[in-house]
Amino acid sequence: MENLEQVFNQIVKDYSERLYWHVRRMVGSHEDADDLLQDIFLKIWTALPSFRGEAQLYTWVWRIATNETLNWLRRERVRAALRFQSIDAELERRILADPYFNGTDAQRELFKALSRLPEKQRQVFVMRWWDELPYEEISAITGTSVGALKASYHIAQEKLKLNLSQAEVSK
Amino acid sequence: MTKKTGISVPEGYFSKLETRLQSIPNQEVKPTVIQKVSPWLAYAASLAILAALGNFIFGRAAATEEDAWDYYSYLSQSLDPDGQIELMESPTLTEEDDIVSFLIASNIPVEHLEEFDYEEDY
Repeated sequence: MENLEQVFNQIVKDYSERLYWHVRRMVGSHEDADDLLQDIFLKIWTALPSFRGEAQLYTWVWRIATNETLNWLRRERVRAALRFQSIDAELERRILADPYFNGTDAQRELFKALSRLPEKQRQVFVMRWWDELPYEEISAITGTSVGALKASYHIAQEKLKLNLSQAEVSK
Repeated sequence: MTKKTGISVPEGYFSKLETRLQSIPNQEVKPTVIQKVSPWLAYAASLAILAALGNFIFGRAAATEEDAWDYYSYLSQSLDPDGQIELMESPTLTEEDDIVSFLIASNIPVEHLEEFDYEEDY
């Protein structure tokens, strides 16, 4: 058990900050990212005894983080549907209300546009554009082929450009 | 598009975060709602939810928010008698979070939920 704790503590040291930024870019607000990160590391801790070393630790940790983030987004979408709300509007509202967003209007628009992308496209865009992960690593983490990832990234980029240009026009 | 995001964190956040996360092994892990609920009940509930959703979608019934909660009550009645008893007696299936967990576990596409029409009182 002590050994597992040491491994876990090392994972926290090595990955917590980088995963925070990934999660934050995915969900928008600091508060949500903070809660979600706690859940992710709880999951890592409970799954650690079953880690067999078939995947690299790096890939395994990222896979848990990205899956948990997608689950969180799906859960929020279901929650919003139950309340007859739009999840896009809700995520936008949280980004606007976040005290730890101090960017420009253009950066805020980018986050709003990002929140309107389907979860998977958002994930690929964030991992490639902001996290700067190579396609091969994203492929190992997500289990999606490099070709499909490139297609998703291209579509996401085009949608973002369109959303941003529409936001500019509507000003 | 710029790669700068304009997002920040509270001062000293990451060192506190590291300490907090490293305390996870010493915390008691609480079972999730789904782990608490027996697998057969989750299966029965997902079937009931699917049947009821089909009814709603094809019936195209406009509904009030109150109807939505009646709908979950209806779902509980769709379970077999043992399932109903367990569902009623279970303290884990009374909150919105529990319903969300059930819906997630049942893999119902969210789009189906969004088909549920909501009509305000005018």
